[in-house]
Amino acid sequence: MGIFIQLLIDGLSTGSIYAALALAIVLVNQATGMINFAQGALAVLSGYIAFALLNAGLPLILAILGSILISFVIGAAVERLLIRRFERGDPDTAVVVTIGLLTLITGVCAWLWSYNNRIFPSLFPNETLELLGAKVSLRSLGTFVVIVAIMGLLQLLFVGTKLGLALRAVSINPQSAAFSGMPVGRLLMVGWGLAAALGAVAGVLVAPQLTLTPGMMDNALVYALAAVILGGLTSPVGVVLAAWIIGVLENLAAVYIPFIGHDLKVVVPFLLIVVVLVVRPQGLFGRKAVVRV
Amino acid sequence: MPNNANQSFLRRPVVRWGALIVLVVIAAVLPLVLPEIANDTIARIGVFAVAVLGLNVVMGYGGQVSLGQIFFLGLGAYVTAYGATHDWNIVFTFVLALLLPAVIGLLVALAAARLGGLAIAMVTIALPIIGLPLAKRLSDWTGGSQGLSSRFSDAPEWTGLYNDQWKLYLVLVIGAVTFVLVRNFVRGKFGRALAIVKENEAVASSMGISPYWYKVLAFTIASLVGGVSGFLYMAVVQYTSPETLAFHHSITLVASMVIGGAATMTGSVLGGVYYVFVPMLTNAIDPNLTAALQGAILLIVLFVLPGGLVSLPRRIAALRRRPSGQAPPGGASLAPDPDPEPAPTTTQNER
Repeated sequence: MGIFIQLLIDGLSTGSIYAALALAIVLVNQATGMINFAQGALAVLSGYIAFALLNAGLPLILAILGSILISFVIGAAVERLLIRRFERGDPDTAVVVTIGLLTLITGVCAWLWSYNNRIFPSLFPNETLELLGAKVSLRSLGTFVVIVAIMGLLQLLFVGTKLGLALRAVSINPQSAAFSGMPVGRLLMVGWGLAAALGAVAGVLVAPQLTLTPGMMDNALVYALAAVILGGLTSPVGVVLAAWIIGVLENLAAVYIPFIGHDLKVVVPFLLIVVVLVVRPQGLFGRKAVVRV
Repeated sequence: MPNNANQSFLRRPVVRWGALIVLVVIAAVLPLVLPEIANDTIARIGVFAVAVLGLNVVMGYGGQVSLGQIFFLGLGAYVTAYGATHDWNIVFTFVLALLLPAVIGLLVALAAARLGGLAIAMVTIALPIIGLPLAKRLSDWTGGSQGLSSRFSDAPEWTGLYNDQWKLYLVLVIGAVTFVLVRNFVRGKFGRALAIVKENEAVASSMGISPYWYKVLAFTIASLVGGVSGFLYMAVVQYTSPETLAFHHSITLVASMVIGGAATMTGSVLGGVYYVFVPMLTNAIDPNLTAALQGAILLIVLFVLPGGLVSLPRRIAALRRRPSGQAPPGGASLAPDPDPEPAPTTTQNER
């Protein structure tokens, strides 16, 4: 039982990291209709920026906040300088643009910081807590709490503020939004900035566990995309729930199913996808798209 | 068009057959006179040109982004390596190296194509990421981290050829057959239907063309062609390991396809050239720079040459004609199919 609870909490913690990345993907998709495959790479870059700030002598918490701020600016700049040209065009071309971005950012990280693993300190102490007979690491608990808090803040932003209202309007119908005088371009920039900042949170939370490498987020990106498919692109809450389900299930499968083990647990979300797709093609929480000719 | 006369000249059967014969003669003689390193490089280009060709079926012609093509190359290579190390009949091994990727591609597409939009891209990104640990785990079949090597493609003694010459002939023959088959396929009934699906799924449905089944079929063919490239990869490199399946190879294949030129045969070959040469060049400068340069090149091509390298001559021609008011303005729409024969798709040059 103790092990089970431990796995549950660890699963929720890793699931939270996937959730942050998945939310960033949904944020960009809702605003621009594209899937940003570079979201993981942007998160890695954020991790390296925090690493650089740390090495410049900043305390950890300031380095992280600084990285989140810089990532916001980078995200907005990427939208303005690169993505804008391909928005609302052929979606396949847009995807290839984000793949180019993924390669470029990974490559820049490798160029500046090499492919060697870099140690990144954790925001939370590396101690464990006794909970219902289980040893639960503070790191897992902290990661979970941070992500839940951020989701709360995002929800508040979208529901409770004028900016949030404007962002939602642009995502639902950019043309009507433009007709009613909204600065659609600037709002899209903000959307990309927010997504990058969200990715930065995922980056600094995952970096202590995996150590910083340019390919650090490749797997997390795959999980995040799985969560997006399972949760349905239209439902941020569904995506977060799906990410948690994936995180918990893969942890349980790694321990309780001998063939899967830790190296093959990445298979779990995709078995889940196949099962779900057969039953509910629109995802667990998504709406069915209606096509008009 | 001012160069109409020129085009109809190129279209005359005598000219086309003549060009073909010249090409075949060159292909037959060149391996004998080139140095070993050149033969080896051309053979590698052939391998990846076939892989890019497969990607082109699903992505260029089909409009579905696949990030998993390297998985099918790897699968084909592993099947070939296993067959060769167990002394299976080589033809049987070859057939299996195509069929297994095709079946797995079919299963993946059956699930992924149920979702609309970019689902295939989102699902296929997992293939190399799952494939790599799987290849390490199934060490009884794959040799684990050490991988498998085999010299089944060394030149038989009766030919009197060197190994590099024999391997290049193997790639040229199988590659050429694959290209001709795929070319006929995408220009036939299947290609026309696929083009409609790519253009507008709702319209395709109303015409009685099932977008679902055409997407599944395109993906399956892409996987099968990926298997062919895997067989050729094993024949040329003579070694495969989990590293063959690495995720960044898959990304590079996508970049190669776009940079070469989507939905064209010549573009696939140019993609193979890009795949082989760019890492060679960047490694000579700084190995840590490879990925950054590849990403930058891809983005630059998307910005200034959406039709890929294959559209470059036409773009230059259009730019030179523009002062006289002949050429229409615009970007991608300027670059028609570089192959002289009219192709069936209406969306050839979207990228």
